[in-house]
This record gives sequence, C-alpha cells and structure tokens, in this order.
Amino acid sequence: MRSESRISNDVYLADSGQQYLIFILLIVLAGMLFLLDLFLGSVSLNPGDVLNAMFSGGEGHMETILFKFRLPKAATAFLVGIGLSLSGLQMQTIFRNPLAGPDVLGITSGASLGVAFVILGFSVSISPETLAGFGNWILVVSSWAGAGVIMIIIMLIASRIKDIMTILILGIMLSSGISALVILMQYFSSESLLKAYVIWTMGSLGNLTSDQLMVLMVSVSVGIVLSLVSSKMLNALLLGENYAVSIGLNVKLARIVIFSCTSILAGSVTAFCGPIGFIGIAVPHMARIIFRTSDHKILIPGSILTGGSVMLLSDIIAQLPGSEKVLPLNAVTSLIGIPIVIWVILRNRKYSGVY
Amino acid sequence: MVTADKIVTIEGLSTGYRSGRDETIILEGLCSTAFRGELIAVIGKNGSGKSTLLRTIIGLQPVLRGKIYHEERDILEYSRLELARKVGFISTETVRATNMNVYDLVSLGRYPYTNWTGRIDSENHNRILEALENAGMTSFYSRFISELSDGERQRAMIARILAQDTGLLLMDEPTAFLDIGSKFEILHLLHNLAKTTGKTIIFSTHDLQMAISQADKIWLLKDKRLVEGAPEDLMIQGEFDHIFDSSPARYNSDQGTFTFIGEEQGSIYVEGKGILRHWTEKAVNRNGFSVSKEKTGRYIIVPSGNFKNWRLVEGQKAEEFSTVYELAGAIKKLGQFTI
Repeated sequence: MRSESRISNDVYLADSGQQYLIFILLIVLAGMLFLLDLFLGSVSLNPGDVLNAMFSGGEGHMETILFKFRLPKAATAFLVGIGLSLSGLQMQTIFRNPLAGPDVLGITSGASLGVAFVILGFSVSISPETLAGFGNWILVVSSWAGAGVIMIIIMLIASRIKDIMTILILGIMLSSGISALVILMQYFSSESLLKAYVIWTMGSLGNLTSDQLMVLMVSVSVGIVLSLVSSKMLNALLLGENYAVSIGLNVKLARIVIFSCTSILAGSVTAFCGPIGFIGIAVPHMARIIFRTSDHKILIPGSILTGGSVMLLSDIIAQLPGSEKVLPLNAVTSLIGIPIVIWVILRNRKYSGVY
Repeated sequence: MVTADKIVTIEGLSTGYRSGRDETIILEGLCSTAFRGELIAVIGKNGSGKSTLLRTIIGLQPVLRGKIYHEERDILEYSRLELARKVGFISTETVRATNMNVYDLVSLGRYPYTNWTGRIDSENHNRILEALENAGMTSFYSRFISELSDGERQRAMIARILAQDTGLLLMDEPTAFLDIGSKFEILHLLHNLAKTTGKTIIFSTHDLQMAISQADKIWLLKDKRLVEGAPEDLMIQGEFDHIFDSSPARYNSDQGTFTFIGEEQGSIYVEGKGILRHWTEKAVNRNGFSVSKEKTGRYIIVPSGNFKNWRLVEGQKAEEFSTVYELAGAIKKLGQFTI
C-alpha cells in the first residue's frame, strides 16, 4: 500500500510540474504577442525604434504612435481577452453548459442595452464633458446592470429547465428581444448619437481614452480577484448544485459572487469595446484542452493567459500588418472562435443536456 | 445496540415539497433512529418518497413537520458547512464534468476541510488516498471520470463521500443502472464499510433481495408511513407481501423471491432432487403452473441416475425431453389444452 501511495504522490507532482511548464510557455507567448502587437500595424516599427521611443522621452512621431496608439490598444486587447474569457469560464461552470458564454446567452446584449440607454437615451441631458469624465463610470455601471439583469433572468430559467439547447434558444430569443428594444431606441434618437452607437457595436480596441482604459483596468482587476476568490466554489459547482450543497457550498453566496464577477467583466468590456463575439465561449475550452484539467485554480490563470494571447493575436490579424486597411475586430474573433465552438458541439453530441 | 451512538434520529417527521403556501406531503409521522455502523436499506415503490426522505435528511428539502437530529443536534442548528462534515450524499445524478479525473472528484470531498483557496495539503492528500484505497479506486486516480464504467464511476463517487469523512452516508439508489456483478460489488463494499469503518449508511434501492441479504435494517415506505425492522422481522410480519399490491409481482416470504401473479393453469408435481429439481420448478412456475406439494396424475421426473432426460408423465402417457427448453414447450402446450 505504502509504495502505491508514494507512486501516486510522484505522478501527481509530475502533473503539476507539467502545468508549471505550460504556464511559463503561455506567459512567454503572451509577452511575445504583446510586443508584436506594438511593432505591427499600418506602420511597422522595428525593435530599435520601439526601444528608442521608450527610453528617449522625446515627443516625436514614434513616441506618439507607441504611447498614444499602440500601447493602449495592446493593453486593451489583453484586458478584453481576460475579461471575456473569465466570464465565459464562470458561466460555463455555473450553468454546467459547455456552450455558455457572455455573447451566446445574451449577457452582452444586456450590456449593450445598458450602453444604448446611456449613449442614446441620457446623452440628451448629459453634456459631452460630463460623459468624458464621470460619464465613463456611468457607462460602465449601466452596462454592468444590463448584463446582471440578463444573467439573473437566464439563471431563473436555468433553474427550471435543464436542457442546454432550450436555454441557448431562450438566450437567443432574449438577445433578439433586446436588439428590438435597442432598434426602437435607435429609431427615436438623433443622427449623431445613432452613428456613435453603431460604431460602438462594431467592436474596437483602439478608441479608448486613457481614462476609459483606467476604468477598464480597474474593473478587470476586480473581476480577476473575484474569480480567484470563487475558484473553490466553482470547483464545487462542477458536481452540480445538489452535490455542491451537500459538500458544504453556500449556493446563494456563490451565485452572488460569480454573477457580480461575470457581469462586471462582460459589462465593462462591452461598454468600451462593443460586443465582441466568441472569445468568451471559445477560450475556456482552449484552456481545458491545454491543461487537461477541470480545476479552476488552474483554469482561471490559464484562461487569463490564453484569452489575453488570443485577443492580442486577433488584434494583430485585424490590423493587417503592412497595409493601410483594418478589419472589423468582430469578424476576426468569430473566425477564430467558431471552429472551436463547432468542435465542442460535435464532441458533446452524445450527452446533450449535461455538462 | 443499546449503548451504540445515535447517528441520526427522526421524530414525527413529515417530508414533501413546499411551494409558496402549498405543501405536498409525501411521508408523514416518521420515527426512527440510525445507529453507528448500521447499513439501512430504504425500500418502497416508485414515488413512495425514498428520494424525498434522503434529501430531507441531508437538508436539501425542508422539514415540513417534526425533527431531524444529527448526532443528537437539531438539523436546523447546523450550518451548511457543519452539516457537510456529518453527512455525505450520493444522488442519482451523474457527474459529467469534462477533464475531471478521479483524484479531482475525490478531492472535492475535502471541500468542508480546506481553506478558501481549496488547497490540498499533505493531510488532505493522505485522506484522499485513503478514501481511494477504501473504495478500491487507487489505480484509477488519474482516469477521467467520463471514461469510467458505471460501476467504476459509482465507486469513485463513494470514494468522494469517504473523503468527506462523515459519520453518515446517504445514497439514493447506488446500484441503479449497474449490471448484476457491479450491483453485488457495490453492496458488498457498503456492507464492509459499515462494518469496518463504523459509518452509518442509509441507501435506497429497488433490489429487495439484495437489501434483505445485506442490510441490518429496512425502512419500508408504504402508504406515507415508515415501517422499520430487521429484514427477517418484516418478512415474518408479512410486510413485504403487500408492497407491490397493485403490480402483478408477489413476494414469497418463505423463499425470499418474487413471482409474477399470472393466471395459474393448474399444478404439476416435480419429482427429484437438488439443483435439477429447483430449476425445473422455476420453469414450471414461469410457464403458468404452480408446483404441487403432492404427487398427482400429472408430474415431471427430473433426470437422475441412468435417466438423462426429463420425463413428463400424464396418466398413462409419458414424454421425454433432453433439455428444460423442450420440456417448457410441452408445459406451455399443456396449458393451452386445459383451458
């Protein structure tokens, strides 16, 4: 017996050793993609230029490109990747549904509705100056609220209906309903506000002011902390709610923490960058494939690194390095995410209805 | 048993569902005590409230009336976490998380004992190995649960509640969906756990015969009530005769077996000894005849000595058959002609 347990000890340690190695590789990958995102774009910079710009402290052409455009955009891409992936991971676990994700279940639409309220509805009474300062928080909070309300509605439905497909279809209905509301609001709003809203819906990483980037950074950091705090609860929820309760999980507390976390993450990303599709649903599966585990203590940092990298990659592709043109970001993330989603659907065909 | 510890006591318990002001009572006025190291089988028809009772004892459903005491303390005084250290639960729900291996599954049993990060330290690790060992799952620890057979998955679930280190284990139909070998294996495991580790195990089952052979006590649920006793007590009192009243199955208290109540088409005497006689009688029953106690005009002689064939004798006429299958065919025909 003794030798047997020692063997399993060793193998267990070997597993985690392998995971450390993967983490290091992912960190290196994310770092490289971050640098590439700085270098590549409509004007390609070479490493020498970048180093010069970083340490010269001058105000030249290079510095402007690097500090005013490339660096904020790369940082935004990384934060957006983290935000969407983490919210997707948590939703897949709490709904026990491999196809859950902020965009699929209508959470992003809810956030859009919140944003539409601010851009189309209240802007009439709020001057552009207020919007620029305190307004960022108004935008984000209304986006959180929109996301949170949809999250609660979906949870109420999911507690009665267990079938994955039914919930997904209801999520799509919910999104369509919200879109209808938004269209109505668009119909009655002025041309300039309408244009602002439509541009927002296309999804973009490059339009954030430094204040907005700050708000996004704070929100995503809060989201990361909340996810790490909830990792034990998420692991328990893998068993399903009844088992989770039977091993001592406080389900109400878990739901409040996890729902706030997802709403904050998906809401803030959507508020500033528009509804970006398929990252939230696909990245958690990538992390599961890479780490071959169900443990959220590994999947959470794994999704952070994978999500950040995938988003940086999407941004690099969207910039079409060396050309003047820029692709819509949403098109790129969809093309990366959809094959993974299809793979998940095909693999899970035999047990539809369970996670 | 007099000095044994009371693990769980129920007093005047009513179970059921509550939605708004409406109450649906499924069982009422239940009283019983489960002692340390007892293996208790909960038996009853579908819909008799077996799952509801188990779910109420673990606190997943409200106590409508009466009291439940875990180790002589009211269940209402426990926090969820404290209760998780007293009672473990396996429901009929299967866990199918992707990429979860047996070790991860069992380590979730340590949930009530780990800190907020859920870190598995060497103490917890040793408990997990011990649980795997006791459930006979040590060599499976790195296998994904999605790759296990039903029986192996059930053993992994048992390892999980063993890791939870509770005095009371509740299991809702742990042997359902298992093949007969795995059924016996699981039940044998439960029996041994109760005896060697002193854990109290309460499980529901449809397998009356297996429950009777292994359980220390039976909780029989019928007509919203609970009747308890050693399997033999209930047998002697004839309690099992009526559990399946409405169905065409009848429990034979004297033999401990079920038979289908069909239209009996007469009786046949079986002459012979041992296993051949036993199985020939079964074949007679299956084909709609009862086995008469005394030799009548119609009887079967089972093979013995020089005779390798079954002989069906009716009056002066005798037929020979080399297999029970052929004999059964003839018995069927007998039935058709006598109607």
